[in-house]
Amino acid sequence: MGEETGQEMSDEVERVRRPEGQWASPVESLHVHESVEGADPTTVEGRRISGPLQGFGRLWQKTYRVRLEGAEVTPEQVIAAWKADYGSFWPATSRFCAPFSGVTPGEVALISDRAPGGLRLSTGVLVLYADEVSFTFLCPEGHPFAGMITFSAQHDEDDVTVAQVQAIIRAQDPLVELTMPFYTQRQEDKVWQHVLTALAAHFGGADAQVSTDAVCVDSKRQWQRFGNVRHNAGLYALTRAFRRRRS
Amino acid sequence: MPELELTIRHDDGVLVLDLHGDLDGGATDQMKQAQTTAAEVAPRVLVLNFADLGYMNSTGIALIVGVLAEARRLGSDVRVCGLSDHYRHIFEITRLADFVSFHLDEGEAVDNQHTPAS
Repeated sequence: MGEETGQEMSDEVERVRRPEGQWASPVESLHVHESVEGADPTTVEGRRISGPLQGFGRLWQKTYRVRLEGAEVTPEQVIAAWKADYGSFWPATSRFCAPFSGVTPGEVALISDRAPGGLRLSTGVLVLYADEVSFTFLCPEGHPFAGMITFSAQHDEDDVTVAQVQAIIRAQDPLVELTMPFYTQRQEDKVWQHVLTALAAHFGGADAQVSTDAVCVDSKRQWQRFGNVRHNAGLYALTRAFRRRRS
Repeated sequence: MPELELTIRHDDGVLVLDLHGDLDGGATDQMKQAQTTAAEVAPRVLVLNFADLGYMNSTGIALIVGVLAEARRLGSDVRVCGLSDHYRHIFEITRLADFVSFHLDEGEAVDNQHTPAS
């Protein structure tokens, strides 16, 4: 291979310094471009993004990590595999319907989740950001959480590749906040612990331990966001089931 | 890529954070320090000066969320200056823009009397 020319090097620097393609373009509301079997786009179509400051409940930073000990794998390889088959690492009770073009900035993915009582909750996420070693999802209105979740991989101090999920989230509305201590928080932990365990198993780590760290970033509840409850995916599923029974 | 250098200045109820370099996971400690300082000072106005920002990834945005959450807890008016159009769009898509006002430079940010709606 020949030596890099000055122009090629400056092009590479420019590519790194102008990361526009790594971010989603601004959108007023979300649009689902593909219909996916088993996922209801109604609770996502036309909804706005609900970032970490738009929700109702206390703001949490939750970090889940797993060391891929013994795996000869780079952070880039971990993220490539994670993005390529994201939904396969999820628990059987949930379904992540990736967009046709994959985990690509600006794409909307649908999520279908089994809730207590046999209800099926449908929601989704917007892919906000993606590079070689990380990608980030943003939650829409109606999702149980307002906020963003970043998936990343890096080497630790022992040069072992570590995969991480970091969520900066708050309960979207008062109903979700009410269930946080005894249900929603635990479910959230279970999902990401399952995902990281499955990811580690994918790279040959059968008994990988997932660490969980939760920090309350803002303990104030945002009462002016009480009205977020009108978008609640659980209430939507309940009323839909009720209507079906009546008709 | 240059690591973040964070300069923190405080005068007359205005706390200015100058961000020089790249805002990513490597800047966690500096941004936590900024949060701690904000909590101690409880400024009337918090200015985030991005004029010398290099690159910012989604972890950097998460770090900004931490600072904004602290500012909201304290009731500070958050003003952002020197942000490129690209990163301003990122503030808009993440809806962080709902909680800040944008200004051309620090002078305008400090002088401006506009308080964004919460």
